[in-house]
Amino acid sequence: MAATASLKSSLLLPSPISDFSGAAVSVSAQKRRKSWQPRGARMQVSAAADSKNILVMGGTRFIGVFLSRLLVKEGHQVTLFTRGKAPITQQLPGESDAEYAEFSSKVQHLKGDRQDFDFVKTSLAAKSFDVVYDINGREAVEVEPIIDALPNLEQYIYCSSAGVYLKSDLLPHCENDAVDPKSRHKGKLETESLLTSRDVNWTSIRPVYIYGPLNYNPVEEWFFHRLKAGRPIPIPGAGNQITQLGHVKDLAKAFNVVLGNPKASQQIFNISGAKYVTFDGLARACAKAGGFPEPELVHYNPKDFDFGKKKAFPFRDQHFFASIEKATRELGWTPEFDLVGGLTDSYNLDFGRGTFRKAADFTTDDMILGKKLATV
Amino acid sequence: MAFSAAAAAATSTATAFASGRHRRLSSSSAPSPSFSQSALPRAVVAARRRRRRAALPASRAAAFTVRAEAKTKKSVLIVNTNSGGHAIIGFYLAKELLAAGHAVTVLTAGDEASDKMRKPPFSRFEELTSAGGRTVWGDPADVGAAVGGGASSFDVVLDNNGKDLDAVRPVVDWAKSSGVGQFLFISSAGIYKPTDEPPHVEGDAVKESAGHVGVEKYIAEQQFGSWASFRPQYMIGSGNNKDCEEWFFDRIVRRRPVPVPGNGMQLTNISHVRDLSSMLALAVESPGAAAGKIFNCVSDRAVTLDGMARLCAAAAGVAVEIVHYDPAAVGVDAKKAFPFRNMHFYAEPRAAKEALGWVSTTNLPEDLKERYADYAGSGRGEKAMAFDLDDKILAAVGNATASVIA
Repeated sequence: MAATASLKSSLLLPSPISDFSGAAVSVSAQKRRKSWQPRGARMQVSAAADSKNILVMGGTRFIGVFLSRLLVKEGHQVTLFTRGKAPITQQLPGESDAEYAEFSSKVQHLKGDRQDFDFVKTSLAAKSFDVVYDINGREAVEVEPIIDALPNLEQYIYCSSAGVYLKSDLLPHCENDAVDPKSRHKGKLETESLLTSRDVNWTSIRPVYIYGPLNYNPVEEWFFHRLKAGRPIPIPGAGNQITQLGHVKDLAKAFNVVLGNPKASQQIFNISGAKYVTFDGLARACAKAGGFPEPELVHYNPKDFDFGKKKAFPFRDQHFFASIEKATRELGWTPEFDLVGGLTDSYNLDFGRGTFRKAADFTTDDMILGKKLATV
Repeated sequence: MAFSAAAAAATSTATAFASGRHRRLSSSSAPSPSFSQSALPRAVVAARRRRRRAALPASRAAAFTVRAEAKTKKSVLIVNTNSGGHAIIGFYLAKELLAAGHAVTVLTAGDEASDKMRKPPFSRFEELTSAGGRTVWGDPADVGAAVGGGASSFDVVLDNNGKDLDAVRPVVDWAKSSGVGQFLFISSAGIYKPTDEPPHVEGDAVKESAGHVGVEKYIAEQQFGSWASFRPQYMIGSGNNKDCEEWFFDRIVRRRPVPVPGNGMQLTNISHVRDLSSMLALAVESPGAAAGKIFNCVSDRAVTLDGMARLCAAAAGVAVEIVHYDPAAVGVDAKKAFPFRNMHFYAEPRAAKEALGWVSTTNLPEDLKERYADYAGSGRGEKAMAFDLDDKILAAVGNATASVIA
């Protein structure tokens, strides 16, 4: 069966721009602009005053794939900074050839390794980007060269994480809540602190669990594999732990709505779904989304097992959800997808077509189910 | 009126937040200690909330006026239950409305001479009458007789008494025939159907057979100028008629383990009653904004059952030992053994925030400290108390194996 195939990829941008140099870029850019000539009106839009020169750190894997499309549609000039290991663009399921050609012809690529701070600084300083979307930044040191290179930057929009919140008995997490300096996501926290301390207009977005077509994190995929295989779903503890999923398209919209938005200046926003969900409830929702029968749920005590390095369940074993009230109130953004609707979208455009990122691995399931059978 | 710097800054954010919404006026009289929070203007409250719920300052008497619209004095009738967890709502609302300059009558169901009237909040009704409120007793089936005939007409009627149509219909009918403009009802968040996707938000499916649901429908059909229904959960606050945090304090001060059903991760809303009265007061003062709406009448944070035990212990300054149990396996009725529902029971006050510009001020860690101070001063902690159900649970579970030291 289909292995870890990514979505149907199409032609890439020609390589003249993949070796970044000022001349090469302008030549290719001119070439592309010439091909835009017939689209008179669109040319006007891209030259409009509110059209920004945007740099996206990352942008080829998940969030950026959807975000860059929105930005290009709005007439912005979008450059993706990636190592070039993955295709710069890929056609999305449901995206017409014409739409894809339009998008892929406009988006630009700046090839480089963001861990090479010197390269980052020099390559960015050579170009005057108005806005940076930092989708894949993990540590504060990665952000410094970018800010240093772009002193006239209008906005630095950072993809942080709700994982920075300190675990609490009082929920949901709100933007002003205590954060955990020891969490796995402390790099995100340190980045937010760096942004606050520097003289830059920043916005930080804290998503919870992101889902949707192209998800490289096996969130919904984990459930779909088991549902498709007709297997029971092993869920740690009582299954009443509450988590929260946010659709990637809604997240992309949120990233777009903070662009140039004074209400987003120096602000943090939780972005996720409007409702939360229990672990048990999520299993049921995935079943509904894929048209599977109601699943058998098997609860177990994780402490009874040693799973080694394997993850037996894709979510942290605790309550974890954040209020999106600030974003809905301040930005006028609301999520379009409800949970079952969003999971259906993901299923129909991805797993249901036979594509997924990570092959099914039921090792930990069998450990759990085996022990359950043994104790019966 | 002079604004303090913090208040001025807060005002602009409160303005953006509550654009066009009605501001509450505070009275110039010094608020009584138990209502110090509710007397604060929302601008200050909003600023405090933005400071991440830091401990609320002691100087609560720093009241000032925020005037956004001309205030209309309302005549409000509160039909109040004579017992139970909701009794305190009418008491706090009456005090808040009186402090804001409205005319308030509280009709308590039953007899003034009843033993029930010896318990709070009824035992504190002098706080209402001394503030200019009128307290009467009678049968809600005949409100007219209870409040007296004559030309007295009310702008607003709140039924905080009935749980089904039999009890509330006479109040509704009387209000309609008397030309009351606004009818408010204290319903219950307990009517929401259990869901895989918390929280309960306004508009979610409710149990059609629930008494409160029938009442809400009936009120909606009457075409009052404005009607609204409020769905509360659990409350804390001085003057409560029903135990809430006391259940935890009783065990904690006696160094007894706290038995919690299930895995203790069930989420629930425990609000300070001032959140409920402030929401209701906003509805009274903005009948247009409140018209035709359902409001979850709760604070905007939920707490786990284990979390509540931990917060109560922290308020008391002692450690707590939580013991989880399965009520069925142990053979106890969880409803009798524990004060909260043994399931997620979690609603969010989204409608009030959006439609009324309401802000929650419940700060459970801080509020419980205040509650504990009351508890400690009451002598209840020294009283001999039986813990039969607890003992049964602990015996069944076996303390050593199942305890969780928090």
